Amino acid sequence: MHEWSLADAVVRSLLGFMASEGLSSIKEVEVTWGEILELDTGIFEQAFYELSKGTPLEGAKLVLKEEKAYFKCNSCGAEWDFKTADEILSREFEILEEPAGVKESPLHFLPDLARTLLRCPKCGSRDFDLISGKDLRVSKVVA
Amino acid sequence: MMRAPDVLQDEALRRISRAERLLMVASGKGGVGKSLISMALASTLSEMGRKVGLLDLDVHGPSIPQVFRSERLIKATKHGLEPLKIDGLELMSLGYIVRDSPVPLGGEDKMSLLKMMVALTDWSPLDYLVVDLPPGTGDEMILAIRALRRHPKSGTVLVTLPSRLSLSVVKRALDLLRDEGVRVLGIIENMAYIRCGGDIVRPFGSLDYSSLGADLLGSLPLDPAVEEALASGKPPHKASKEVMEAISAIASRIEVMM
Repeated sequence: MHEWSLADAVVRSLLGFMASEGLSSIKEVEVTWGEILELDTGIFEQAFYELSKGTPLEGAKLVLKEEKAYFKCNSCGAEWDFKTADEILSREFEILEEPAGVKESPLHFLPDLARTLLRCPKCGSRDFDLISGKDLRVSKVVA
Repeated sequence: MMRAPDVLQDEALRRISRAERLLMVASGKGGVGKSLISMALASTLSEMGRKVGLLDLDVHGPSIPQVFRSERLIKATKHGLEPLKIDGLELMSLGYIVRDSPVPLGGEDKMSLLKMMVALTDWSPLDYLVVDLPPGTGDEMILAIRALRRHPKSGTVLVTLPSRLSLSVVKRALDLLRDEGVRVLGIIENMAYIRCGGDIVRPFGSLDYSSLGADLLGSLPLDPAVEEALASGKPPHKASKEVMEAISAIASRIEVMM
């Protein structure tokens, strides 16, 4: 459900960017999203195009590029991916998605909480890096 | 070459700036009672009829959930994360999400977490957003400065003990805020005096802030009733008549200034 709020953030940010750069239109926007965010790309695209309507961004093509998540432990050197992370994720904390009433891990909303919600699957340390796969960013704009 | 926009920072600053007035509560050092004063000011402004949100930007030691307690889960809707509504306030703190678990983060990761949290928080239209900053002049202060600079009705109060050791820290924070064009409303002294029978004892002495070019907005006593209030779940501004009057006077001054 956070697809709508994130798409809204992208649209507003791009409109500000267009104004500051003096752009009257944009042909294509590439948005890179981290796997941890678990975006439903269909909903995100729908939200993006809906929110762009009637703005200078209307007509811009949205290209979504997924960035895979990758973790590396600074204590023992172990490396793991999002599938492993999802399996070992602490279920102690949850966020309630409304109106569906589904409980989700805060990690999908706030990926930087990884060290709070996960430990290295090999040594149990919290001293690991989330090397990639957490961001939401505009990675390319074609005017 | 065009630089791509920082989506999350843009949205974080936009969401913070939707409040009619933005009040940051900062301190140079930890342990001076800044969070209690943030909560007391937010509650008092709310009781004055204002619609108030309170945002806890302390990643490592969020205090607000210890006073405004709730077992409810934070809700996510189409519009983002809903702040909790307790005692007439809207509240957002990482402490409501990860409770008392450690959040080992630094540098860019911390900034990224703060941006995402603020970018997703869906406040109602507010008269005041009070922001409880962690001590010092780190990442959280930088994000706050970026928000303050672009908000037409914003200001910062600095909380300190009236100790000589604190003066240089207060000066550093003041210098940073002023260099960055942020409006400083004044200083609040906490634990400034103890009422002992009919006498007032000032364990730290008295400081003159005029050399810093900052107004003293008010002084609060070191009052055991505050700790008792916390233990019993009572809002800190209602700890005693003296605390309540002091906070009310400070809130009224802030109202006039903002």
